[in-house]
Amino acid sequence: MNTRVTYRVRLTPECLEMDGKRVAEAVAGESFLTQLYRMNKMDYPKFFKMDVLCKVGFLASEILLQAEGAERFVPRSDRAVILFNRNSSLHADRTFQQTIANPEDFYPSPSVFVYTLPNIVTGEIAIRNKYHGESSFILLPEKSQEAMNRAIARAFLDPETKSVLTGWVEAVSETEFEATMELVVSS
Amino acid sequence: MELIEELKTKMIEALNLEEMTPADIDENAPLFGDEGLGLDSIDVLELIVLLERNYGIKIADPKQGKEIFASVRTMADYVAANRTK
Repeated sequence: MNTRVTYRVRLTPECLEMDGKRVAEAVAGESFLTQLYRMNKMDYPKFFKMDVLCKVGFLASEILLQAEGAERFVPRSDRAVILFNRNSSLHADRTFQQTIANPEDFYPSPSVFVYTLPNIVTGEIAIRNKYHGESSFILLPEKSQEAMNRAIARAFLDPETKSVLTGWVEAVSETEFEATMELVVSS
Repeated sequence: MELIEELKTKMIEALNLEEMTPADIDENAPLFGDEGLGLDSIDVLELIVLLERNYGIKIADPKQGKEIFASVRTMADYVAANRTK
């Protein structure tokens, strides 16, 4: 099947790029992720409850999907969400571990625990955009475009899938993250 | 009244209600549903942890939760009557 990339976004701690053009840069003060949330006037308070991996993936998808305009938020089953990274939800895992490390202060945090799975990111994106197609978060030993392309190609084997929101979403700390996300459509 | 304000501050921190200040929270409004704060099931688990950690309160009977977490005021009343620290 022939496919093409319609939109592409790249998010790092330093800047945001849309289709290869730098559209926003981090400034001193709040975290860049919060700055982007406010700049894009998102009315989605749940954002603040997310762990950093989820924030990175969610923001990248929000900014990328704005380009779809009026088509957004129409329930659909023909779009898959397939994301990749190497470190899974390691940052949330470590944060949760801190809540149970001290026997004298043993209070496991439910709200941290829910983010100790990377596929929460794909779930949040699917819920937000009313997607009912496939969603997967695949862990790779290293960033490999070839491996990602194979997974995307497999998704298109489902005759119902007409587009795939996909990319590399990695966050190992509040200041070390990267999302490279694109919308691939069948043509 | 002091306990109500204290609870509001702790809730904002525990539930990551970053867009809110204590003044934004009506202590009589429902915590769940569209009319009030709109908290979800994970938030109530976090509130249970908050009560245990800060006030030494263990909620043994889940059925009590609906009454205790009806509003900030009902939470404060329960804390005042049952706190061990």
